[in-house]
Amino acid sequence: MADSRRNSRQNHIALAQQVIGVVLERGMNPGDHLPEQVFSEACGVSRTPIRAAFKILEEKEILAWKEEEGYFLEIGQADGLTEAAHRLEDMEDSLAQRILSDRADRRIGDIQSISALVRRYNVTRNSVLNALKILSRDGVVTQLPGRSWAFQPMFDTPKAVDESLAFRLTIEPQAILAPGFVMDIKKAGLLKMRMQELLDTQEGHITSTGFLRLDTEFHSFIAECSGNRFARGALLAHHRLRRATQKDISIPDFRLRQSLDEHLEILDSLERHQFELAADQMVLHLRRSRIRRPEAANRGIPPLMRGARQ
Amino acid sequence: MSHPRVIALFPEASFGAALNCVGIAQQLRHMGAIPVFLCHPGFTGMFAEYGFKEYHLPAPSQVQAQKNEDYWQAFINTHLPHFNLDAEEQLPTYVAPTWEAIVDTAIDAEAGVESLLDQIRPDAILLDNVIMFPAIVRSGYPWIRIVSCAETEIPDPNVPPYLSGLAPEDDAAVTRFEQTYLNATESAHRRYNAFRKSRGLRPLAPGNFLENSDRLNLLLAPSAVRYSRARPLPRERFVFLEGCVREESRFDPPQLPADDGPLIYMSFGSLGAIDTDLIGKMIDTFATLPARFMVNVGGFLEAYQHVPDNVYLGSWFPQPSVVEQSALFIHHGGNNSFCEALFHGVPSLVIPYCWDGHDNAQRAQATGTGRRLDRTTWSPDTLREAILALLNDTPMAARLQRISREMQAEPGARRAAEAVMAAIDVSH
Repeated sequence: MADSRRNSRQNHIALAQQVIGVVLERGMNPGDHLPEQVFSEACGVSRTPIRAAFKILEEKEILAWKEEEGYFLEIGQADGLTEAAHRLEDMEDSLAQRILSDRADRRIGDIQSISALVRRYNVTRNSVLNALKILSRDGVVTQLPGRSWAFQPMFDTPKAVDESLAFRLTIEPQAILAPGFVMDIKKAGLLKMRMQELLDTQEGHITSTGFLRLDTEFHSFIAECSGNRFARGALLAHHRLRRATQKDISIPDFRLRQSLDEHLEILDSLERHQFELAADQMVLHLRRSRIRRPEAANRGIPPLMRGARQ
Repeated sequence: MSHPRVIALFPEASFGAALNCVGIAQQLRHMGAIPVFLCHPGFTGMFAEYGFKEYHLPAPSQVQAQKNEDYWQAFINTHLPHFNLDAEEQLPTYVAPTWEAIVDTAIDAEAGVESLLDQIRPDAILLDNVIMFPAIVRSGYPWIRIVSCAETEIPDPNVPPYLSGLAPEDDAAVTRFEQTYLNATESAHRRYNAFRKSRGLRPLAPGNFLENSDRLNLLLAPSAVRYSRARPLPRERFVFLEGCVREESRFDPPQLPADDGPLIYMSFGSLGAIDTDLIGKMIDTFATLPARFMVNVGGFLEAYQHVPDNVYLGSWFPQPSVVEQSALFIHHGGNNSFCEALFHGVPSLVIPYCWDGHDNAQRAQATGTGRRLDRTTWSPDTLREAILALLNDTPMAARLQRISREMQAEPGARRAAEAVMAAIDVSH
């Protein structure tokens, strides 16, 4: 029961962060109204969790509640809205997120003992155990024999991202082609609407984090619709890990928009039951996403694509 | 109605030139032109991500690709110690072999460049390099030179020698450096002139590997750091750019466990990132400072463990957006980096290791837009002192704000595109 309350609270915190992402993407200003319906559609959830997320933002003085009018933005980007969004992560139950983030940022090693984590975060042993349980549920850590825990591979280097795309190139088109692919049209429509909204933002205003969130939702949705249970399971776990640990994506605005257009085209083909076309479009989309910058380049020297051995 | 102008941009295979050209190409596109890129192997897809069509020079064979990797390993082993030498000592050890390699690149690329220009049939070619590819002149298409290195690349009695890191008034050292430079590059230059002759081009003077364009030359040299030339460059053919900053996606600084203090960005370019020992030691010092550090470690992320709580490592950053949000930029003196710092009014702490980094380090110090720190003799104390001094230098901050306002009033990328379009339309 306590676990379930904590998870629900965590989901609402995550949703509150998503709400701030939408506010930033739309360039909203202090005093602007946040209609529940609009944000429920933008975040792809019902109005009840949106109310809970708004409530958290009200507690943090990011939103203000006006009787019979609803929620209004209290602070804008110039007043530190981005930082306020980050601070949400400091709220209760964010230990798992902090551990994960520290591992992805190479602050802690890939094998950790409970006592080392207790010392680093200055929390109780039980808190650390709970955090590790949350992470193990997502397949991020596994318990080793004894008292140590091992982190699974993460999306913390360009090479890891490249390997992920190679893996997805093999599985994602097959997830579409496997017999029994069934798409939730309503959910697809909501996703399309949010992608279109992102495309409608001013050039240079799509952030990498905002894009990554929608990108993982789109690819997870494709996985959910697959008729192959193993492809579905493997891809859902993979995208959860991507969402939790992928960092350092810096993609030019043109490619972000091109990528969103590709998502929309894939959904259009799937709506028309053109599965082979959609699978081919997925291959094209992933191949374009797999382009890597040279790892080292300088005048008079052939660009190096792989990490030089040290 | 005239057809849209097709402009072929040909940057050298380095990030500085490539991204400088992206900035100009973005503005050319806004003006209705069709910018396309001649693309070195290894840069495939990089320009496409910004929405530009790429024409690829032939890719190396698998055997050659393996050789390239071996070459890099040899390069690291050979040249890492040379980066600890001063600019003059680097002439025989690093600069001379680099010029030999540049000449090899030009010879190897010649047939590919000729073939691609036949295919593209551009209205103009923008060459951002340090060497001429004869196929460009032979093609007969109008060509424009972009000097994206420091202004020192175009000599003048009042401008210190290219790559010297000297001040113009240091007469004795200037004379000695010039002679040593000619001696060091003599072999590569002789070979290059022979190649030019075989392709029907006139020879160039000693030490010179690239002629100025008769039509237009663009210099990435903001007025705040520009030299007063004894022989001013003709304004109708030479346009100085106030930086050349590309449009880039927005960077949201990640939350750090220790998330207080000003934001400091450090990048030594992809070549500088190979010195993981140096960067690792600097990071140890960063851990002792009340600031947040974004550190570009290029392809070497896996070389770092136990990253301090106020430091974030990345293999790539949308640099213009990060610099814009930074209170200090620690860099290697690459001209693009230096100009981006000036454009956004951010002080530079320049730790040069080669090429025109030496020139920009000297210039940052001389113009009061930053400081130079020696990469071999720095200590944690001197690094800490330099960072804190730059963060607290109010007169420098005011000066940089003024420079930034002036540069942003005339953005170099747009000025470059306007000059290019005007130059094409002039019948020649």
